[in-house]
Amino acid sequence: MKKFLVEFWKSYSIVIVVIVIGLVLGLLAPRFLTKDNLINVMTNASLVAIVGLGMTLAIASGNFDLSVGATASFAGCISFSLVPILGVPLSIIAGVIVGAVVGLINGLIISELRVPAFIATLSMMTIVRGFTLIFTNGRDLYLFGQTEYKILSGQLILGISTPIFFAIGIALLFGFVKKYTRFGRHILAMGGNLSAASRSGVRTSFVLWGIFSIVGATAALTGMIISSQVLTANARLATGLELSAIAVVILGGTALSGGQATVIGTLLGALLISMINNGLNLLNVPIFYQELTVGALMLGALAVKMQKGFKISSLLRSRS
Amino acid sequence: MIDENNEIILGVQGLTHHFPGIVALKNVNFDLHKGEIHALVGENGAGKSTMINIIAGVLQPSSGRLIINGSPTTFQNPSDAQQAGISVIFQEFNLVPQLSVAENIFINREPTRFGMIDWKKMNEKASEVLKRLKIDIDPRLTVSSLSIAQQQLTEIARGLAFNAQVIVMDEPTAALSEREIDQLLSIVKSLANEGVSVIYVSHKLEEVFKVADRITVLRDGVRIITKNASEVSEDDVIFAMVGRALIHGRCPERKLGPVVLSVKNLNVDNFIKDFSMDLHQGEVLGLGGLMGSGANRVIEALFGLRDSYVDELTLDGSALAINNPRDAIHSRIGYVPNDRKKDGLLPDLSVKHNISIGIIERLKKVFWIVAENEQEITETYVNKLNVRCTSINQRILNLSGGNQQKVILARSLAEECNVLLLSEPTRGVDVGAKAEIYSLIDSLVDSGMAVILQSSELNEFIRLANRVMIFSSGQVKGELTGDQITEESMMALATRV
Repeated sequence: MKKFLVEFWKSYSIVIVVIVIGLVLGLLAPRFLTKDNLINVMTNASLVAIVGLGMTLAIASGNFDLSVGATASFAGCISFSLVPILGVPLSIIAGVIVGAVVGLINGLIISELRVPAFIATLSMMTIVRGFTLIFTNGRDLYLFGQTEYKILSGQLILGISTPIFFAIGIALLFGFVKKYTRFGRHILAMGGNLSAASRSGVRTSFVLWGIFSIVGATAALTGMIISSQVLTANARLATGLELSAIAVVILGGTALSGGQATVIGTLLGALLISMINNGLNLLNVPIFYQELTVGALMLGALAVKMQKGFKISSLLRSRS
Repeated sequence: MIDENNEIILGVQGLTHHFPGIVALKNVNFDLHKGEIHALVGENGAGKSTMINIIAGVLQPSSGRLIINGSPTTFQNPSDAQQAGISVIFQEFNLVPQLSVAENIFINREPTRFGMIDWKKMNEKASEVLKRLKIDIDPRLTVSSLSIAQQQLTEIARGLAFNAQVIVMDEPTAALSEREIDQLLSIVKSLANEGVSVIYVSHKLEEVFKVADRITVLRDGVRIITKNASEVSEDDVIFAMVGRALIHGRCPERKLGPVVLSVKNLNVDNFIKDFSMDLHQGEVLGLGGLMGSGANRVIEALFGLRDSYVDELTLDGSALAINNPRDAIHSRIGYVPNDRKKDGLLPDLSVKHNISIGIIERLKKVFWIVAENEQEITETYVNKLNVRCTSINQRILNLSGGNQQKVILARSLAEECNVLLLSEPTRGVDVGAKAEIYSLIDSLVDSGMAVILQSSELNEFIRLANRVMIFSSGQVKGELTGDQITEESMMALATRV
């Protein structure tokens, strides 16, 4: 319980922001606080949250993955094209595996070829996009009559959609991994001090492969959910997903420098962005202004965070 | 030598500073005369850094005041302090590595002509300052191409270029070699002769006595003594620092057992050629030599951190291969790196997690870590090594250097190593913690551990090692045992070409 409170306290600031913005939007647009709308908000948040949770592990380890958007669209297309052969459930699993393999390749490039994560995943981003374009011949893939696939984005129980269950389930899993498993501990150790971690016997390459495979799998899941919403997959799907994913992680309170992570924070970060987008829609704010608002908000949140960080670090320095 | 009536350039009166939960300074008085070198010593956590930070304007005191040239002053920020002629050289340099020496010296105050930087004038003025310090560095060189010692001197030059009346130096010799230290000390002295006042903060009492006019000792935020350096002995100062006398001297009788680790013809990086040794149970073998002599490479190679080739490597009689740290840890070889911050600490993690990182495998049930096991094992080592922390969940960065070092040692011990490779085990550690680490090593060795020790402090070999091998340019120049281990004999071997 105490640990939970500590964790909660770390994400405290964003909780307040979420509540305040929620109330303000509720006052301005009464429709905001209806059940249907809130589920809509959470569903949209879940899409970014799922890949954001994977990204949280990568950032905690001192890396990040720019190829998630491309992987998401690639997995969506592959999965769609496999449905006639394998049926829906197996094609979804195949999509996840495809994502994990792309991630594993990222991990291998970083650990074996010693290419920095930035360059490795940036290159993979264009390679995978190119591959998807070749594979689809630049056309849209449709799933006619395969409404079964809709299970990925449809409502499950009590009107709550599947993505919400995925996001919460993955968050619980990753929270557990982070706190109670060797893999989780090794991720944090690597992110804090790579050299010290390897000197303590951490097999840093293995951990990297694991992290990037997971990021790839979460990206694939997000990609397939997005595709299932409209039963359409193409190579332009999920463009820019990498930046939103990194943004929600940082907004949630995980430091870009690595070494620590907050899983709850990432969920809340995604929720915050989704709330604002939705609220601005309800208020009939033109789409261009929405972009501007979300960007300004991110900047503000990070600026505030940096101020706090500065004070704490100067305190630490003077105490030693 | 300073004269009692000489004007007081910087005074500190009744300085008190609180951090949340602790009092870092309690009613401290301190004064600095013109042209004086005043050493400020104390263990880590004694309050030296807090005091420097207040003098530098980084922190504002809870109460008390600063008096500069007779008038009370408050500094809101570091640039106020700089304006008042105080220049602080922190342990971590504030240099921009990509810029040249001259640019760093005149950063923010570049001489200009028609609104553009006057390079010629800047380099000339930089040369002048460097010449005043008798430093032979081309001001056009980029800082990143300089040695640590030269960077340090560049920092000092920058202080002087600000027309600093007071220079505060925080552990200035931590990363310097013997020769560079001597050079630095003579520069400090000549600055004092020119009328600049120096506050010299250091752990190393030997240097303090070489350079200081007066010595002030802080302990637990309180000033214990301020004395003329000529009126106190090193032991007096140590007593004031730790509140008790320390046992100096030679290493106790070591009871040697059978050979544990045997190395035949180890070659590292084309630098170490055919190094061989037998390490016995219960032994502390010192590997010494000047910086870059190769002693450290042998240790790193034995831990799998360097490419090496060896004819025969046996542990307890059976052959083994070590290609990476993981192999070494599995063979129960532990390692304490010489750069704690760079290669040892996991800065974001707790004391507990820093200790358990190498043994998570043993704490697991199915695939999760059993919290009770982890707690129990780490508490055992925290108690055994007397790590002072508020709880094992405290973040390691909030511990003093000595306690951080004990945690890193605990990590290797938790891995249940039989052979311990120690590289500079007491670097950046205060005297009290040093004594504790020494007696810990004694007791480990007593219970059958074998230790290989590499150090740049010759006293450490005298205190700990029953046998020393001295390196010079990658080769062992000689081996000393027992009473043969003296500073003179070690230096003689180390300087042999």
